[in-house]
Amino acid sequence: MDALIALIQNAPGAANMSAQALHNTAAALMATLMFTVMALCAIVFTWMERKVAGFLQNRYGPMRTGRWHGWAQAVADMLKILGKEDIIPAEADKGLFVFAPILVLLGSLLAWAAIPWAPGFVAADLDLGLFYIFAVSSLVIIGILMAGWSSNNKWALYGAARGAAQMVSYEIPLALATIPVIMYTGSLNTQDIVIAQQGGLANWYIFRDPFLFVAFWMYFIASIAETNRGPFDMPETESELVAGYHTEYSGMRFAFFFLSEYANLFLVSLIAVMVFLGGWWAPLPLLDVIPPALTFIIKGVMMVFFNMWVRWTLPRVRVDQLMHLCWKVMIPIALICVLGSGIIQMVRG
Amino acid sequence: MATEDVKATGWADQDHVPEIKSELLELNMGPQHPATHGVLRLLLETDGEIVYKVTPVMGYLHRCAEKIAEGVNYKQWVVYTDRFDYLAPMCCNHAYVTALEKLMGQEVPERGEHLRVVAAELSRIASHLVSLATFGLDMGAFTPLLYMFREREEILNLLERIAGGRMLYNYMVPGGVRYDVPDDKWIKDVLSFVDMMETKKVPEYNTLLSYNKIFIERTANVCVISPEDAFTFGCTGPVLRGSGVSFDCRRDDPYGAYPKFDFEIPVGQGQMGAVGDCWDRYFVRMLEIEQSCRLIRQALETLPDGPYQAIELKKPVKAPMGAVYSRTESAKGELGHYLIGDGGQTAFRNKVRSPSFCNLQVVTKVGVGQMVSDLVALVGSLDIVLGEIDR
Amino acid sequence: MEARAIYELLAEKIGDGALGFTEGTGDPVADVAPASIVDACTFLRDDERCDFDMMMCLSGIDWDGYDENGKGKSVSILGYTDLGEPETTERASDGDFGVAYDLYSHRLKHKFTLRVRVTREVASVPTVSGVWETANWHEREAWDLLGIRFAGHPDLRRMLLDESWVGHPLRKDYQMPSEWDAVRLSGRDYAKNPFPPIAPPETPTPPAGDKPAEG
Repeated sequence: MDALIALIQNAPGAANMSAQALHNTAAALMATLMFTVMALCAIVFTWMERKVAGFLQNRYGPMRTGRWHGWAQAVADMLKILGKEDIIPAEADKGLFVFAPILVLLGSLLAWAAIPWAPGFVAADLDLGLFYIFAVSSLVIIGILMAGWSSNNKWALYGAARGAAQMVSYEIPLALATIPVIMYTGSLNTQDIVIAQQGGLANWYIFRDPFLFVAFWMYFIASIAETNRGPFDMPETESELVAGYHTEYSGMRFAFFFLSEYANLFLVSLIAVMVFLGGWWAPLPLLDVIPPALTFIIKGVMMVFFNMWVRWTLPRVRVDQLMHLCWKVMIPIALICVLGSGIIQMVRG
Repeated sequence: MATEDVKATGWADQDHVPEIKSELLELNMGPQHPATHGVLRLLLETDGEIVYKVTPVMGYLHRCAEKIAEGVNYKQWVVYTDRFDYLAPMCCNHAYVTALEKLMGQEVPERGEHLRVVAAELSRIASHLVSLATFGLDMGAFTPLLYMFREREEILNLLERIAGGRMLYNYMVPGGVRYDVPDDKWIKDVLSFVDMMETKKVPEYNTLLSYNKIFIERTANVCVISPEDAFTFGCTGPVLRGSGVSFDCRRDDPYGAYPKFDFEIPVGQGQMGAVGDCWDRYFVRMLEIEQSCRLIRQALETLPDGPYQAIELKKPVKAPMGAVYSRTESAKGELGHYLIGDGGQTAFRNKVRSPSFCNLQVVTKVGVGQMVSDLVALVGSLDIVLGEIDR
Repeated sequence: MEARAIYELLAEKIGDGALGFTEGTGDPVADVAPASIVDACTFLRDDERCDFDMMMCLSGIDWDGYDENGKGKSVSILGYTDLGEPETTERASDGDFGVAYDLYSHRLKHKFTLRVRVTREVASVPTVSGVWETANWHEREAWDLLGIRFAGHPDLRRMLLDESWVGHPLRKDYQMPSEWDAVRLSGRDYAKNPFPPIAPPETPTPPAGDKPAEG
């Protein structure tokens, strides 16, 4: 934000703006930018998902639209989905049905505010940044529950119930895994966390101590569950629950869920980069020529790719096994990580 | 626990919450559902994730093929047998012509029998590949599907070259097969495909899916079918062998050229859990692919010269009065025909005993008390084809 | 064990219920009285020497028109005239219904076929679904397609056809309804057909000499 404000100040004709006006302009710009990036990432990742799945499965994926490797396929799909009929089931709870996708999208959109893209370049430079991200992304659960309940469809209800149970549970290991990092940094501010990792690969939190390395993988697994993607796609489970909580949705409302899925995917990947993988810092001094924001995004996209790789390789776990994994395996391990990392920090002083 | 017990002991009936009523949720799984493998409809009564009652409803694909059998002549009805198990049509052809020849007392030339074995076993591999792939898909593993369909495509190409069709062949006729081997290259191609399947592809599937930890967690110890249940419910084929019973019509009730060949009957060993669980049924199919490869290789390497048809193609066939029950091992299990001839060119009665029909009934017992996800695994591991159930 | 030996064991057990044993074209078959079919099946399943643990197949048969002494007749499925009227066969429906039970023993690896016969008016056989579970669905199918009732069956509903269907299609005297659930079944409705059938050629005009020429 500060960087943005400085940028606006230097722009011609902005010299006389008051501090408040400057701040408002910067916020509006930032919000527009965020939403654009989010919509873009949904489009890019849809295409990327299909290409990655294709290459993992001995096929090409989309090849025609836009000539070069079907790059325009996702754009065409989005246009198609915009033109689709908006169906609200007759027996649905209309208010909740309409509001649910908006809430889901809102949850993922709000969390983006605290992502530090580059030094000084963060929409909301909050002291409780990380806490804020986890807090607002919980809104998604309410949206999913609302969608499943209001659809008046048994499969959707199943999906929503599974989804709520899963996401509430997996928030715990997700947040627990980041606690050692917060203890190292001594701050919840997202910029501070990244700045603390300056100085090459060895200073990234993932390599600071063995417990943090484990904590990273805990975070990674929990993040897959948190975004409802395979092998933990319980709310959707297309072979069991037809399409889960969004069975009854179509057209633009369905697109909102879709958008939110990919926005969430990129979000958790960026948080992983920010917390464990050095944020905007390049791994080698040689690569410092790359702009920090680009480094950050490249790392995020690599995490997304890794996520897709997992999704298209593994079968799906069962819902009780998923809960078992969370409560009996991951939470204890995450707690041990907190304890172990704390001891190491104490010893190191 | 039976449905009544749930209702009786449910907390709804207790005194302190008289105003809250709880009941089992009726869930309609199908006829359009991704996991029911066609137009099967399962009426479930569930309490949360647990299923308390399964009622299969079928007939959505009913064509009354048995009535058609009474209206068309014997040779014309071979076409309809293709449509039963459309994933392994050669096996269905084989079952019908075997029954008819048993009633007619018709001998088949050696070459015809060998070609039938090759075609039926190729079809069996194709059917097992679809079965394994869709079972993986039910478990959420999308990628193995594409790998297995790649090999199925090869089989369809090979069968297209010998029978002219890719899905519905109408290849076998009473007294032999319709066409001879197209050329020597076909034999070479089949043999090289079989080699590739055995040495490369099956190990690849095993790495990708069979020994995947999540897959084992999902399928081992799930929906165990005991041999006693399998007998009384009339389960056959991989379902019965998955329960550890070594029974195969090809060996125990031999027909065609099968007695001449050397092959094993894989049975469920309970490697990953109890004998008769979903993983065993899955893995038996995987092992059967290898055995089918062995059979194809033997049949082609010892392919005798000579005629491949005993009856001229255009000549109508007549069957004497009498009734036979003849059974063969289709990809799904024991495919039997109860055939009554009346001395004419048309069957008086032709009852088809389809393996999927009998195998499916076991869900009414084994599916009870399972989770919805496990029921999906059970239906997937039974490998049903609705064309055969509804006929 | 040979089928005849099994039949002798069975005849010993059920006495008058065993009606005869035929060997000829096709499988050897034992005829059993309907009243003793459950006893016969229970015996065959439980006896150590028989041990038929599996029923391979249960087939309902409509013997109408099957002539044991001469050439049998079959009814064509295309029982409709070009005008869409159902084609009625002149045969009286006096044929019996039959049910054939094909049994197999996994342990002893032998097969056996039982057959019962009931008159068309009765059309009811005691159920064996208590003996082998698989009989449950096979009997439902036989009821659905042939209209043979199975007395004591726990759940005798239609299996493949809709509950509202009228009649049992595999009966030899079955006539397909012309309409079901607002769907026209009997083929062509010429009144609505945009492509009417080609009319038969008109009778050729007689030679001029037969009739007085006009004018």
